[in-house]
Amino acid sequence: MSEEPESQAFLNDFRWIMDVVQNVDVGLVLLDKDYKVHLWNSFMQNHSATAAEEVIGHSLFDLFPEIDEKWFRRKVQSVYVLKNSAFTTWEQRPYLFRFDNYRPITGKAEFMYQNSTFIPIQGLDGSTDSICVIIYDVTEQAINNIELEKVNETLEYISKTDGLTGLLNRKTWENLLEKEYERESRYHENCSLIMFDIDHFKKVNDNYGHPAGDEVIRQTADIIRHSIRKTDIAGRYGGEEYVILLPHTPIDSAYVLAERIRKKIAAKPACYEDQVINYTVSLGVAAFDPSLKSPTNWIDFADQALYQSKQAGRNATNIYQYPEKPVEEG
Amino acid sequence: MLSEDHRDCLQEISNVAMGQAGDHLARLLDAFVILSIPHVAILSPSEIAMAVQTVDDQNVSGVCQGFIGGGISGESMLLFNDTSFIDLAKLMGYEDEVSATAEKEVLIDATNILVGALLRGIAEQMDIEFSFGPPAILGQHQELDKLLSSKHVRWNQALVIEVGYQIENYDVQCDLLVVITERSLHYLLNKLNYLLG
Repeated sequence: MSEEPESQAFLNDFRWIMDVVQNVDVGLVLLDKDYKVHLWNSFMQNHSATAAEEVIGHSLFDLFPEIDEKWFRRKVQSVYVLKNSAFTTWEQRPYLFRFDNYRPITGKAEFMYQNSTFIPIQGLDGSTDSICVIIYDVTEQAINNIELEKVNETLEYISKTDGLTGLLNRKTWENLLEKEYERESRYHENCSLIMFDIDHFKKVNDNYGHPAGDEVIRQTADIIRHSIRKTDIAGRYGGEEYVILLPHTPIDSAYVLAERIRKKIAAKPACYEDQVINYTVSLGVAAFDPSLKSPTNWIDFADQALYQSKQAGRNATNIYQYPEKPVEEG
Repeated sequence: MLSEDHRDCLQEISNVAMGQAGDHLARLLDAFVILSIPHVAILSPSEIAMAVQTVDDQNVSGVCQGFIGGGISGESMLLFNDTSFIDLAKLMGYEDEVSATAEKEVLIDATNILVGALLRGIAEQMDIEFSFGPPAILGQHQELDKLLSSKHVRWNQALVIEVGYQIENYDVQCDLLVVITERSLHYLLNKLNYLLG
């Protein structure tokens, strides 16, 4: 066998390298300093449905207007100056090139999620004269992550809320109360607490059945939701007991809100199947006060005011009265 | 594990690398970067928080980036004070309001630039080349201890290079920790022995 001439060996090496570059399952794009394309491998050709000759020699920004030019230039600039790779992941930008999903059966995304790496390429004189952009298809990973995040969000929602009413459950609400209590203890701002329950709820259950009782509980929650502001924190405290924490709210305003809820409920019977159920609620309101010993103490006072409303014949609101502070002398 | 000579040598290498990094960064960011003297020490995972000097311990964001090459591997971690954020975005050329996604991008880009500039200088002096993985956000707006309390730490001791960055006329403070694994220490020491002659 005769030995291959050197040039033949070189050509062979070159052919292998080009074969690999063409067929590797990542996108390879070579760009010169004017952002003109010099390499556009099969991955890029296939996914963009453009032939190499349509792309090579043309400016990337003319070909792909979806690329944010200002951002891209800044990214590339850092590669030239630092002679260091730069990255972008799907979490920052879902894609660099918009490639539509090509798999009709297993493709779950609308487009290909991409991670990209920008690497500096040295010319023959040793200076960096072009960059190579490597495009990775990370659709599968991105979709899995996005789905996982959605599931986590749902789980968090389920663990924090009450299934029947969608209001916060007792544990979550109490945690928030504790935080607010600590804040108030430090800053002494206005903050109020409303506690209320449905009058003679047992009778609702006895007369109309438990599903009807559930409907009453649900409707009450709806009325709360429509009555409070975004910053107010409402929770289902027990069976037919509700609590609303009102940050930045003086007691007078809390009383006004409590009365509004009471009147709305009294005026709007709950409907379950063909039954119309009239019902009322009794409420207690307690302001935050520096003399409070604990969040539980605060709840107790609201509960005492609620008890007064019950004593007074129900369908009423009462404010917890703190004992008059002794006037300091001197 | 690490003799005085080795430590001094590595500190000197880091010093030189930072000089170059500062120069590159100045050109890229058009701002003067003030770098603290690097600290080199062998630390356990629980000691890492103590090594952090420039950022305070409240409300920190952290980004990690792995590197590997020449038998040496590790991960660098950049910690940013959350108060630095607006100026950091400005520095990176984001003029508009910064969305949550852009915020991540600013953190990742800044990390890539600051880390790359330093590690490239270190690698050059040791005559090796590192490949870098994409930076990943470790956590945002957290207390430092919480951010650093990783349950997945599988090492007992590591070589840590700590550098503080400040940028002139910008309210940007960040801390870079380069954590080199125990496993690569052997290769690193060989390189240092060669440099020490």
